[in-house]
Amino acid sequence: MEQAKPVILCVDDEENSLFLRKLVLQKSGYEVIVANSGQKALELLETHKIDLLLSDLLMPEMSGAELIKQVKERGHKLPIILVSGVNEFPPEAQAADLLMNKVEGPAKLVENIATVLQRFKGNQEIR
Amino acid sequence: MAANDMVNILMVDDQPAKLLSYEVILKELGENLIKVTSGREALEQLLKNDVAVVLMDVSMPEIDGFELADMIRQHPRFQKTAIIFISAVHLTDVDRIKGYQRGAVDYISVPVVPELLRAKVTVFAELHRKTRQLENLNRELEQRVAERTEELRERADLLELATEAIMVSNTEGILEFWNSGAEALYGWKREEVLGKNAHQILQTRLPVSAAEIQSSLAVEGRWEGNLVQQTRDGRELTVASRQGLKSNATRDVILEINRDITSQLQAEDALRKTERLAAMGRVAGIIAHEINNPLEAITNAFYLLSSHPSLDEEAQHYARMGEQELLRVSHITRQTLSFYRESQKPVAVAVSDLVDDVLELQSRSIQMSGITLRKKYHSRGEIEGFPVELKQVFLNLIGNAVQATPKGGMLQVHVFESQEWRKKRRGVYLSVCDNGSGIKSDDARRLFEPFFSTKSTKGTGLGLWISKGIVQKYDGSICFRSMHFSTGNATCFRVFFPTPLPGDKIQEPAAFSTATK
Repeated sequence: MEQAKPVILCVDDEENSLFLRKLVLQKSGYEVIVANSGQKALELLETHKIDLLLSDLLMPEMSGAELIKQVKERGHKLPIILVSGVNEFPPEAQAADLLMNKVEGPAKLVENIATVLQRFKGNQEIR
Repeated sequence: MAANDMVNILMVDDQPAKLLSYEVILKELGENLIKVTSGREALEQLLKNDVAVVLMDVSMPEIDGFELADMIRQHPRFQKTAIIFISAVHLTDVDRIKGYQRGAVDYISVPVVPELLRAKVTVFAELHRKTRQLENLNRELEQRVAERTEELRERADLLELATEAIMVSNTEGILEFWNSGAEALYGWKREEVLGKNAHQILQTRLPVSAAEIQSSLAVEGRWEGNLVQQTRDGRELTVASRQGLKSNATRDVILEINRDITSQLQAEDALRKTERLAAMGRVAGIIAHEINNPLEAITNAFYLLSSHPSLDEEAQHYARMGEQELLRVSHITRQTLSFYRESQKPVAVAVSDLVDDVLELQSRSIQMSGITLRKKYHSRGEIEGFPVELKQVFLNLIGNAVQATPKGGMLQVHVFESQEWRKKRRGVYLSVCDNGSGIKSDDARRLFEPFFSTKSTKGTGLGLWISKGIVQKYDGSICFRSMHFSTGNATCFRVFFPTPLPGDKIQEPAAFSTATK
């Protein structure tokens, strides 16, 4: 584990949700950058070093699934977690490293982030 | 043989001149005349031809007329062949001729009067012709009867072939016919029901009044509708019934054809329920979205509050309580408002986690019935699959067990990994045992059939059937054992899911799929 805190880019169109999720993640020791739309997230990815993308699935204009597609098209290599209030994920969403329901709670969210980060790091080291 | 067909007349005389004179006399009758000069030749001709009448001289050398007549009569075919003797009038001859009791026999005395000979021969020739015609007619009739009988037998076979119950009763409802289809459908044998009232035996419930059916039969000659009836072993059936009134010359009968539509109706009912569920699912999806989004925010807020430095211990405690309660709500919305559309790919799931979810859903029922739950997870039981349908299987098994267990009973749930002995595959086992009412051996055979339920109206009868289908999809197996002891019963269901060997993965799991790229 590096000394620097892993950076999470958190994307959600709902302001309150985004704000509170950011606090939860910060509390768990992550540095958090927020974006309230997919477009904004894509811009931030160009200018910041991001370790993990955490995005809502259902958003106006650009959905989480569409965001993943664009991120991959632009050649960004980073783990992605999609969260949703419904348990229904479209097939394109399967491109995410993990799908989870929002209401599984903060503890589960933090656990999942750690798992995905670790797994991604493991894969990087093998290469 | 047509009416004007010629018949054969056999003339026997040792003197050709006499034969010639008979020929001259009989020629104008237009019949076929055969002349022979001895008894032996006469017999040969008789055997070869169908002879209408034999005209013979009594006095012939070798075999005389009487001897020849005796020989002819001995043959069964010629017992009725007409014979006309020609003889000089000796009293003895006449007596002997009268001695022939059977058959057509006549005589003509010499000198032969041509008109008389012609008249006598004509009588016999006509008689023969008429007899032949009658015989032909008879043969034809017999053949037609045989054909018709065959046709009727085919029709009867057809009736027996029908899977519909086909019956005929008189206007009093007394059964006169009952086909194999009726035997199969209702379980009553023909000999048990004929002569009895069908609708009493079948405890028929009519959709309209009996009077209405009767008037429909009387006016239109037919009636159609659905009847509810009982089989011999007490099962209730719904049949589509068609009845017709058939008036014969002497009386009326009621023809009835009943087709079992019970499973069809049940399937339609199940479909309606499924449609309702799907509609509920759509609504639930919308609600889930609208509830879960704020729910996450509130949960996170309480989570943050519960350790917020500005709050004192007591306030933090309240926040923790709020957070815990919210997690309960979250769990419920996830369980009940999560009508997943089937995910595209199977994912790695732990059977024990899914079982825990199901047990939580059932926890109220378990608690209320005072059931002791014994849970043993020897392994997490990781397999690949679709969590929703797996949970459906577990919910069926555990739900059934909970319902079967009496108050204060015991429910045992085990998860373990083992090798399946039959196919020598490794996999995960889940066993669910209860000490409830047990399974009757009669029911055991039908347990996995669709629409079979022991819970009368409370069960859809689809639970185990669907479960079996799901388990089979995973190439797994499902079995049960019900044991009866003097101290009580024990019923165990066991499901097996094979774990895929490395290399024969069906499909890549959804999670982490890109991390390895």
